[in-house]
Amino acid sequence: MEFKEVVGRRRSIRYFQSWRPVEREKIQIMLEAARQASCAVNATFMKAIVVERDKLDRNTLEALKTPVSGQIELAPIHIYTYADTKAFHGAQGRLKKLVDVGALNVSLGWSHKFVDEFVWPNILKPLAENLPQSIALVAGDVGVAVCQAMLAGVDEGLGVCLTAFVPEPVKKALNVPDHWVPLWCLLVGYPAESWEAGGQRPRPPMEEIYFDGKYGTPFKADPKVTEELKTKKMLTPPAPLPWRKAEVKALAQMFGLPE
Amino acid sequence: MSDLNASLESYPSVQTWYQGLREQSGVNPAADPSRLKLLEEFCRSVGLDPDEIIKACLLEKEGRDTQISIKGRRRVAQMVADFQAAAEGLSPRQRAHRGNTIRSFLIHNGILLQAGMQL
Repeated sequence: MEFKEVVGRRRSIRYFQSWRPVEREKIQIMLEAARQASCAVNATFMKAIVVERDKLDRNTLEALKTPVSGQIELAPIHIYTYADTKAFHGAQGRLKKLVDVGALNVSLGWSHKFVDEFVWPNILKPLAENLPQSIALVAGDVGVAVCQAMLAGVDEGLGVCLTAFVPEPVKKALNVPDHWVPLWCLLVGYPAESWEAGGQRPRPPMEEIYFDGKYGTPFKADPKVTEELKTKKMLTPPAPLPWRKAEVKALAQMFGLPE
Repeated sequence: MSDLNASLESYPSVQTWYQGLREQSGVNPAADPSRLKLLEEFCRSVGLDPDEIIKACLLEKEGRDTQISIKGRRRVAQMVADFQAAAEGLSPRQRAHRGNTIRSFLIHNGILLQAGMQL
């Protein structure tokens, strides 16, 4: 699938074909997409535990549910994502390796000595020791990685949905280390709903949320580009599609859910 | 429970439910009177009127915003599960329909409830 179409087809899928397993290779593709994501100081901050729903005992699955995440029962795969606050460790060596492989270059001010005598002691070490400050950076990086995994999943024909989870029962059930900060659970499975899932979600206009040069000057969308993105399927028909309520009703009946 | 009103539709919680069904679920509640009959049966089985059922799920303290009571919600969720299970001679789908009708009433009244797949 073309990249723009992948972006255009991604939805938060909440109804999965609960009976249909997800091929392990597709999960590997998603994890590889996450592993290749941009990450500060080449630290793979995102850590994840892939859980096959059908390998959980009933009590554990019940314990993992939140009042608003009933769909975890429908999703065959749950990927619990965390920010590893210890991933700063070793950043000094990793940065020097980036110098060695030509990613960070002298032409832009990078050298082993710069890493050892400035970047590590003055920036990264204090950051690593200040959890509240570092967590924003780390969480941002995890978000980037999760996003790549989601898009890779969509490209593989899967449905994906990020959902919150209650950390304690998950930590206990999955033996999660203390220094991992819980972020999101990525639910994965084949969609039971249509890929449109009712249509592209309403978003504020670009002019309201992005600015040109300085805050207050809207970044104006070019209608020609907008039209091209419709052609390339990044922009798809907006929600609500006329049949959505009937679709949700049919899904509720199929799964025995309230309407 | 005071005696149930002759018309369950006069309870504000039932009106909220019906409005939610119409506006959010695309369902015309008037087209299926079995909903109201099931709610009435549930009310009688637990000894609460519709508004009291909702109230049983809430935690109201003076000077604080009303919250969902975790204990209250669990208690009512169990009542719904019992109501569903108690129906003898029905198919699993029919039993699920009984429980889900009450769950729908609760959800449209803002009570978080995920009972999961019932089939």
